[in-house]
Amino acid sequence: MSSEPILRVEGLVKRFGGVVALNGVSLEVRRGEILGIIGPNGSGKTTLVNCVTGIYRPDFGRVYLLGEDITGEPPHLVASKGVARTWQKVRPFAKMTVLEAVMAGALLRTGDVEEARREAVNVLTMIGFPREKFDSPGRSISLVEHKLVDLARAVATRPKLLLVDEIVAGLRPHEVEAMVGVIRRVNKELGVTLGVIEHVMRFIVSISDRVVVLHEGRLIAEGPPSEVVQNPLVVEAYLGTRPM
Amino acid sequence: MGGPTLKASRFGWLAPPLALAALCGLVPHMVGFNQYYILVATRIAIVASVALSWNIIGGLAGQLDLASSAYLGLGGILAAELMIKYGVTPWIGMLAGAAASAGVAFLIGYPLFRFGIREVWYALSTVALVVVLHELAIVLMGPFDYYVPPVEGWYYLRFRTWENLYYVSLVLLAFVIVVNLWVSRSKLGYYLKAIREDETAAEALGVDVRKYKLLALLIYATLVGFAGYLYVVTQRTYSYKTFSAPFSIYIAVIGIVGGLGSVDGILLAAAMLGMAEEYLRATFGGTLPGLHLLVYGLLLVTVGVLRPEGLATVTRRLLRPVRTRFLGGESA
Amino acid sequence: MLPSPSLIVQSLVDGVFLGFLFSLVALGLSLVFGVMGFINFAHGDFLMASAYLVWVLASSLRTEPLATAALTVPLFFVVGAAVYFLVARPLLGREPLMQIAVTVGVGYVLQNVALMSFRAEPRASLSYALNTYFGLGPVSVHAAKLVAALMSFAIVVGLDYLLKRTWFGLAVRATAYDRETAMLMGVDVNKVYVAVFGLGIALTALASSLWMTFGQVDPYLGASFGLVSWIVIALGGLGGVPGILASSLIIGVVQSLTTNIVSPSVKMAAASVVFLLVLWFRPRGLFGKV
Repeated sequence: MSSEPILRVEGLVKRFGGVVALNGVSLEVRRGEILGIIGPNGSGKTTLVNCVTGIYRPDFGRVYLLGEDITGEPPHLVASKGVARTWQKVRPFAKMTVLEAVMAGALLRTGDVEEARREAVNVLTMIGFPREKFDSPGRSISLVEHKLVDLARAVATRPKLLLVDEIVAGLRPHEVEAMVGVIRRVNKELGVTLGVIEHVMRFIVSISDRVVVLHEGRLIAEGPPSEVVQNPLVVEAYLGTRPM
Repeated sequence: MGGPTLKASRFGWLAPPLALAALCGLVPHMVGFNQYYILVATRIAIVASVALSWNIIGGLAGQLDLASSAYLGLGGILAAELMIKYGVTPWIGMLAGAAASAGVAFLIGYPLFRFGIREVWYALSTVALVVVLHELAIVLMGPFDYYVPPVEGWYYLRFRTWENLYYVSLVLLAFVIVVNLWVSRSKLGYYLKAIREDETAAEALGVDVRKYKLLALLIYATLVGFAGYLYVVTQRTYSYKTFSAPFSIYIAVIGIVGGLGSVDGILLAAAMLGMAEEYLRATFGGTLPGLHLLVYGLLLVTVGVLRPEGLATVTRRLLRPVRTRFLGGESA
Repeated sequence: MLPSPSLIVQSLVDGVFLGFLFSLVALGLSLVFGVMGFINFAHGDFLMASAYLVWVLASSLRTEPLATAALTVPLFFVVGAAVYFLVARPLLGREPLMQIAVTVGVGYVLQNVALMSFRAEPRASLSYALNTYFGLGPVSVHAAKLVAALMSFAIVVGLDYLLKRTWFGLAVRATAYDRETAMLMGVDVNKVYVAVFGLGIALTALASSLWMTFGQVDPYLGASFGLVSWIVIALGGLGGVPGILASSLIIGVVQSLTTNIVSPSVKMAAASVVFLLVLWFRPRGLFGKV
């Protein structure tokens, strides 16, 4: 497939004081795929998400969404142009109900609250959120439910590209398995292109069409999941044996 | 299965406020047209209008605004001066006052929100606005009290007895309640609540945080500026003291004690605190000045530390046994 | 009409003296805000409460106001610790709006207890030893103000040293930087919080003893000290002691100039205008990083 990629990132550099979080990262997310973005802690995965979604402005490099340069645009514009994200550390809307939180996402594409409500019910149903908890306030639900609401909020904005940041961190094995199904459904049924950021290898291997590996702010490998996990550079990065 | 699938009729939400307004309209009859009680009721209606306007920026958007007396004073003093100096009817003066306070709110709010000033810095800049207007008014108006002249009639919106002003204040209150209910049911309301919860997360959902916060500030400042003249008339005087930090705090106290975002809680808080203040002032004003302020302070600490959702939860809790008994079963 | 140069020089000197005292008050507030993330709108009101205590002690024991610090400073450390447990701790990590509202409530309680106990008239307990002026070129220097400035400066610099060079300071800075990591490193975060809150309030007590050698107290003294302290933090960023000192001096001079040249009734407005301008044009403070 050689159509225009949904997202193209070119030579991103981001420094914090003396620390270089991203050191010239270039990558593409192709239409319809699930791209796994992996790397050990501190390898720059979340910084990459923040640079793409406009939370950080990269020091160098450009970000293109469907060919349009969106580098340094504010987060709300990036979102309305079609990039949604979830958060590694959940950011629940504690006093709003689950349904209201998802409606807030759906309202990006409509001014009609009732339509947003229907959309929110649809999205929550599709990702399998328990219906009897639609009206529970955000503060009263479990971690996996938070992660689902976070995902539903983002999906409800009808993104072209959804960046999922460490969504299975802290989840139990059976919950991880369920999440694989949910993310596949978002990809297949809604046709949303996904960038899945994770450091749990097994999850990424089971879900991704393609994988890129970040290490110390650089892209060190790229390819089908089964190949990438065999790559000696990747193994080294994960096992922490440093090249002298 | 309630909530998500249940759909009320399109204007059903208008019924309770209208019924309440009608009920409040009977108050002058209930107190036998006692002028003092009607004046107290008028003040409460105006303060409740201000507190519910504050609810849009403070309760829904979660920005602790302590400048309500700035907008109230600007609107009220402008309308009063226009009437006294140029004979302009306060009906027009109130619109001018609303426009003026919206203008000041824009001048303050636009740069603040543009640079992402929030939380403590937003609260402080609203305090600073009141301080600046207070001291500027001393320079411009002198340290004097100005009296609204004893003109009467609908043209001047000032009467020998208080009933008419009370009815006007009730209409204003009903309007502010309708605005509140409309906002909280609209896209704006959902966005403001999302901003209150987490600005960064809201932004990632496509919410233009600056724009919506500014919108909330403008709605609030416009409504409060409009109410200014009514407030000045019930106070009988205006001066630099109209720009009062304690009044601004009082409005926030009502919003917080009543429960952020809760219209019925704020109405209840405005009524209870208003009557309590009158009572404490009338009884202890001479011997223990500041007792009512001490009570507000204790209320804020207690509500803040123990009952973060204010009277809204208290009323819900009180009503729960009734609801369980008559409706059967516990609702979440 | 232009103010005379000697008035300007005099105002500058007075403003600098006042600024040093501001820095002592603001340092405590910025520690509490910076380390705990707690917003205290009652900070100045503790200074006011302590100033009344100074007045009571100094007039009943017939001592120098400054001597009362030996009693008020430890007492207010304990008061601060108590306020931490009763009010601040339940609110840590809660939304800023509630922290502001509750501490405004604490301030109201203090102000109005003071109003009921002492009425609104200002009270003064001038220092006998320090109530002299001496000339220094065109400027006349009030000994009490000079002593207050020097002592404030010494204590602020001393605390800066403490924070940079001692284990306690390391623990405080680690907690401010990253609470969880500090805990893993074996820092008792709760103890650090109590100490910082107590220290912050104790500093207001010290400042009140210095203030009472030349100033007077009324129930609303704290409101202006509190607002000034927040403005100082806004100007100085959270960059540390040099930023606080510099912005305190700026606010002191601005207030002193407006008092002497325009009118004392607009000195808070002048400070507020500086504050708003800084928020609009330098939202990270005059001296960089937050």
